[in-house]
Amino acid sequence: MPSIVPAFAWLEGLAWTTALRESPFGYPLIETSHVACIVVFAGLVIMMDLRLVGLAFTHAPLAQIQRRLFPWQMATFVPSTATGILLFCVDPLRYYRNVLFLAKLVFLALAGLNALAFHLKTYRRVEGWDEDPQVTAIARLAGVASLLLWSLTIVSSRLIPNNWFK
Amino acid sequence: MKTKIFLVMLVVGAFCAVQPAQAHHAFAAEYDLTKPVTLNGIVTRMEWANPHGWIYLDTKEPNGAVKHWMIETAAPSQLSRHGLKKADFTDGMTAVVKGYQGKTDPGLANGRTLVLKDGRNFYIGSVGGPNDGAEPQ
Repeated sequence: MPSIVPAFAWLEGLAWTTALRESPFGYPLIETSHVACIVVFAGLVIMMDLRLVGLAFTHAPLAQIQRRLFPWQMATFVPSTATGILLFCVDPLRYYRNVLFLAKLVFLALAGLNALAFHLKTYRRVEGWDEDPQVTAIARLAGVASLLLWSLTIVSSRLIPNNWFK
Repeated sequence: MKTKIFLVMLVVGAFCAVQPAQAHHAFAAEYDLTKPVTLNGIVTRMEWANPHGWIYLDTKEPNGAVKHWMIETAAPSQLSRHGLKKADFTDGMTAVVKGYQGKTDPGLANGRTLVLKDGRNFYIGSVGGPNDGAEPQ
């Protein structure tokens, strides 16, 4: 199996990734935007999850909350992902060799799959329990899983610079 | 309602407790304040990079053996603010770095000051380092 290391070394050596890595303002700007977008995104996701588990907005229809939060969730998820990819391209080998970064990717993928399963399956039948303060068990489970997986994603991301287990 | 808000705060608090309050990768977690080092050697490479720069320095041990050091510096924006430029570094130049040794990795150090061959002296410490007087006021 060919190793991915040469590809990452090539990416790291490109003119634009090198310029960004060495830049006094470009890098901190992207890094700050990344974190700021995640903070807002996580807050919006948590509010939806709290409705699902029955801790907030229980008297508002779930579909109404989903309709209002979803565009803002996407408007912050897209730039946080884009800036995240940029940050990875600046230093691909360092992240590739960081076990907490790999853990973050796993949690992120699981959180994404959970959201996808909820929207494509569970939420399709929302009419039946839209106004119930306590939603169906499977929907509540999606809320709990979302809270847990996004928290794990953020905590493992936060630990990446500690450079443990290198 | 009050119980619910309390519950939410409890959950949020539990997640905050996972990581005790500390600055972005805390100095004390990686470097040993009781092990100050003065490294007089040859710069083999300088990485002028975010989020931290790295000076690779070779020193001579008392027994003549060469020791390789990897010295963390502040980010490019901070190095520039203290007057240092990427062009100040050439591979093979001599330099003196003062800093603190790593806790678990003896070849790792956190740089505080850098003196170049021409005598110019720079502060290269990261944000969140110890208050040891190295940082110009």
